[in-house]
Amino acid sequence: MTDVYKGRVIIGVIGDDIHIVGNRILQLALEESGFQVFNLRTRVRPEEFCQAALEVNADAVFVASLNGEGEYWCADVRRLFREAGLGHVLLYVGGNIVVGNRPRDEVVRLFKQFGFDRVYHQETDISIAIADLQEDLKHGAAQHAGAAQ
Amino acid sequence: MALPSTRARLSDIEKYRAQVLAHPLARGISPDEVREHLAQVPRQRFPRIAYANRGPDPFIQPRGGFPLFEAQHSLTRQLSEAGADFIPLTIDSYTRQNQYDTATELLRRSEEEGKDYLNGYPLVSHGYELTRQLYSDLAKPVSLRHGTPDARLLAEVAIASGIAEIEGGAICYCVPYSEGFPLDRCLLYWQYVDRLCAVNSTEELPIHRESFGPLTATLVPPAIVVAIEVIEALLAAEQGVTSFAVSFGQTGSMVQDIATATVLRALTRRYLEEFGFAAVETYFVYHQWMGQFPVQRERAAALIACSAAIASMISADKIVVKTVDEAYGVPRPEINAEACDTVRYVLRTFRSAKSITSPMIERETALIRSEAESILDEVLNLSGSAFWESVFRAFHMGFLDVPFSPHADNANKLVSVRDANGSIRIADAANVPVSAQNALLEKELLESREDRAAQTYKQMLSDIRLMV
Repeated sequence: MTDVYKGRVIIGVIGDDIHIVGNRILQLALEESGFQVFNLRTRVRPEEFCQAALEVNADAVFVASLNGEGEYWCADVRRLFREAGLGHVLLYVGGNIVVGNRPRDEVVRLFKQFGFDRVYHQETDISIAIADLQEDLKHGAAQHAGAAQ
Repeated sequence: MALPSTRARLSDIEKYRAQVLAHPLARGISPDEVREHLAQVPRQRFPRIAYANRGPDPFIQPRGGFPLFEAQHSLTRQLSEAGADFIPLTIDSYTRQNQYDTATELLRRSEEEGKDYLNGYPLVSHGYELTRQLYSDLAKPVSLRHGTPDARLLAEVAIASGIAEIEGGAICYCVPYSEGFPLDRCLLYWQYVDRLCAVNSTEELPIHRESFGPLTATLVPPAIVVAIEVIEALLAAEQGVTSFAVSFGQTGSMVQDIATATVLRALTRRYLEEFGFAAVETYFVYHQWMGQFPVQRERAAALIACSAAIASMISADKIVVKTVDEAYGVPRPEINAEACDTVRYVLRTFRSAKSITSPMIERETALIRSEAESILDEVLNLSGSAFWESVFRAFHMGFLDVPFSPHADNANKLVSVRDANGSIRIADAANVPVSAQNALLEKELLESREDRAAQTYKQMLSDIRLMV
């Protein structure tokens, strides 16, 4: 089956976070860039990202956190994906993903350890993540941090 | 189809009240005693009396709620001394979500540690007897500001406390504020609140209701705001509310603010009269910019001053003010008092010529009016055994679609961006029933935009950050 889309992407805001504005804009941005978007919207649990990725055979999952709950909720996401046989799915995270003011390098390192492929802490330009996604999808699953472990 | 009608009136509310008042935190509220108390409070506490005596300028209302009684008492005094005409009582988030146990526990911790663990006044936890003391020497209306889908107990405690203005509504306090509170339940719970206001009203001293027109305050097309405000006025009128304010938030375009004010006023009257509710007294409230605020306090002050001038231009009955600390969080009482003073200064210094018009304003007014009418007429045409059911269905059909709502019952399909003039335009109406002609006109107006070739999401991002 040929897909008219460049890929299938799950998006959602993790935890008990209800910040919807960026979520809606991210959806439009990905759609305008040719991706098929499945938007789980706000207050999404890690299991729900995983179930949705399984259901639609997603290529990538964009996890957002605006209120900083990300650190708590994201630690186990990659493990859940691997257990579901979804180790190859790209995991991106972005927003204000930790509470308080911490150096960006430190935050990126932490979330890479969690198994995220790309980390956008306090990055306001969505087009960077979209360009990265297009690039990552050219390479095989073996390139992914998640699949390598 | 079921048109707005007194047949929808919750005539047996006393039965439901007994259930709501059985809650321990109702602390034995007695409906008869509440009516006696309301008869004793100063008449000026009732918005109808206040509005009847308004001078040439819009009334000023700040926002504000602190967890501790003493802090709220002091804030009330400071705001009143600073010239606020309406005194706010902003409720904390846990109480808004009916999590009274958490609110009570965090109130206890706040009291013990002298540190605020709540972002507002936990009215239900404090109870009506203590809250009456907040206002023992106050001869101004107090406005309950919250964001509560199920506000039955909260409204009971507020009215028992002598608060005669209840903000909110089934749509405006659910669709922008909640992700999953069922909208149909919310519509029924707000029937209770509206009816409760009605049964606590006398002909001369009605408990006043106010709707929250800013909604998500993010690129909401004026026609959607007008339609929802009119619907909430009709739903309240069905339950016997006789004093009601519609409102909207500063759009970011002076042209659109003036046009929206004209249409909102006219259609609220038109539809109330059409369905036999001509006796309802209506007022019109303007909210200063509800979107992202500049962090520079000088810019914030400029924005506050300009929007005060617009409130005067559109002859608002009341303006709800922001402070220069808006970008930073809950303002200190002094900052809040300063904002009242700034707005008062602008209102008395720059009294505008009323009824400003121009070809551009006339075109905008005609467009918003035509769009709002077609939305309302389609909603009224939907099937249902009561008007509220048609409203509920309208969301499922996407006839009413509030951009950037987190609510699961909201379609989130309408796409809106600004034109070169800053006016909010419908780029894609999705299922919202605007005529082909109006949809085309919206698109034509968008052509004025300099970056019209840019991706929509980029346009939206810069539009949302308009004032920053």
